[in-house]
Amino acid sequence: MIGLTLFMLFIVLMLAGVPIGAALGLGGIVAIGWANADTQWWGLLAAPQNMQAGIAKYPLLALPMFVLVGAIFDRSGVAQRLVDFAVACVGRSAGMLPMVAVLVAMVLGGISGSGPANAAAVGGVMIAAMARAGYPAPFSASVVGSAAATDILIPPSIAFVVYSVSVPGASVPALFAAGMLPGILAGLALIVPAVWLSRQRGYGAAEAELPRPPFWPSLRQAVWGLAAPVLILGGMRVGWFTPTEAAAVAAVYGLFVGMVIHRSIGFGDLYEIFRDATETSAVIMIVMALAGIFAYSVNTLGLADPLVQAVQASGVGSAGALLALMMVLLVVGMFLDGVSIFLIFLPLLYPLMLAFQWDPVWFGVLLTMVVAIGQFTPPMAVNLLVACRLAQVRIEATLPHVGWLVLSFMLATAAVALFPQIALWLPRSLGY
Amino acid sequence: MKRRVPVALEEGLAVACMALLLAITILNVLTRYFTDQSFAWSEEISVFLMVLMTLAGASAATGRDRHIRIEYFYDRGTAQRQRRLKIFGTCLVALLFMVLALLFGRVVADEIRFEETSMGLGIPRWWFTIFSPLLCIGIALRSIGVAWSTARVLEDGR
Repeated sequence: MIGLTLFMLFIVLMLAGVPIGAALGLGGIVAIGWANADTQWWGLLAAPQNMQAGIAKYPLLALPMFVLVGAIFDRSGVAQRLVDFAVACVGRSAGMLPMVAVLVAMVLGGISGSGPANAAAVGGVMIAAMARAGYPAPFSASVVGSAAATDILIPPSIAFVVYSVSVPGASVPALFAAGMLPGILAGLALIVPAVWLSRQRGYGAAEAELPRPPFWPSLRQAVWGLAAPVLILGGMRVGWFTPTEAAAVAAVYGLFVGMVIHRSIGFGDLYEIFRDATETSAVIMIVMALAGIFAYSVNTLGLADPLVQAVQASGVGSAGALLALMMVLLVVGMFLDGVSIFLIFLPLLYPLMLAFQWDPVWFGVLLTMVVAIGQFTPPMAVNLLVACRLAQVRIEATLPHVGWLVLSFMLATAAVALFPQIALWLPRSLGY
Repeated sequence: MKRRVPVALEEGLAVACMALLLAITILNVLTRYFTDQSFAWSEEISVFLMVLMTLAGASAATGRDRHIRIEYFYDRGTAQRQRRLKIFGTCLVALLFMVLALLFGRVVADEIRFEETSMGLGIPRWWFTIFSPLLCIGIALRSIGVAWSTARVLEDGR
């Protein structure tokens, strides 16, 4: 009864456009107060404690640091040089620029940890370049928006940091390693339909006539950007830094490249960069804090147990339950952002994961892939929205294109679901 | 929108926290390489700065109306309906953070009364936690501010 009220209240508030954190906090507080009506202060002192506990975790520091890295590299001028280098590599013909967009988004995915920052950085360069080559703007926005979704799979990733602090038994390095191959697979899954669609529909006919940048000079320009993922991922692998420290080092490196090498960041831009990173981090982390209250009420009211028992009794088995779960999350992901999905559903999903003995790292990768799909599936798609704003098209205009990319990304997700080794081989062989 | 109290106030605080977090983390890496030691206090300070940054940043984001929400229904319908939903949401946010401020206030009062000290540095815990109720009040006030200016537009529109 209380549980039902908690969820109904929460859902109604959320649909009415109340900020998600506030809906979580209010739902949680009402449920706690109702369940403890006869105790001192209605047991509500648990609310500030759990709110504090939701974010007062040292490993979570990786989140604001990687958000900062994204904000810095967004303006560092690295994206333009990576694009030139990628074009020099793959050459000039119809369908090559969409491929370049995906490849550059994947390399930037190895630097930044959030999809929208990636979409802004790649879109800022690619959308104009693709327009010059004759690609329609809605198609370019679809490609950029979907390509940026590989960012939260390719390490470093903010989604993995959030998952790791919420789920025991899934360390940040293990998740980062596990996301690598599924991220590359997802990137390939986007390149194929992007190139095929351009060829099929005759997009980018003007591309073949555009000049091809010379290989060596563009490599020399791009090397600062290419070195960043090596520094971040290599540094973590060799044990030089923890994920948080890797992010801090990458932030300083990005500032150095942006201010000294490419000179695209001036002293006057610093406040704005930090302000953007602070705002992005704070709106995510306040949801995490308030989700702490929600999770506490879900756990103390024992709301997950009946769900787990119902799923187990339904006889759909592990595979059926996983399939149903991913379908539900796909739909929810069309309306909710990724981190919120993790925070709302993990208190319910964690017991389910234990009951079916799913590997927590593999499960985290799968959830992140589903969330990544939601980042570019209309109507609510954070990455696609950023790309559409840059391309100055309405999100509805992307529908004829983005469907194919969604479908292909889903196939990649299905592959990881069927063959867990795609995710688990790398972390196991690295010894995490 | 006219703001009597500039959002830059909390925003500056949050930005300062972010800059300090970056500096402390970098310093930690450097000292570990040059001296094989790390600051024992850095973890506690970093966590405190992170909480402070979250609350201060959330307050600025409330003033700018930038929080994560489902915009699907919120952005539809007439301008009047949108404003009513906005007032509804902001009032609930204000209510929530007033309650939270009260509860955090009680936590701080207990910490002062029982003279609790922090784990790492051994300083009084309330030096850290006192900021939580204050910033919760800040978020509530920002929210009321947004509700107020929206309501004034609503009346003018009639």
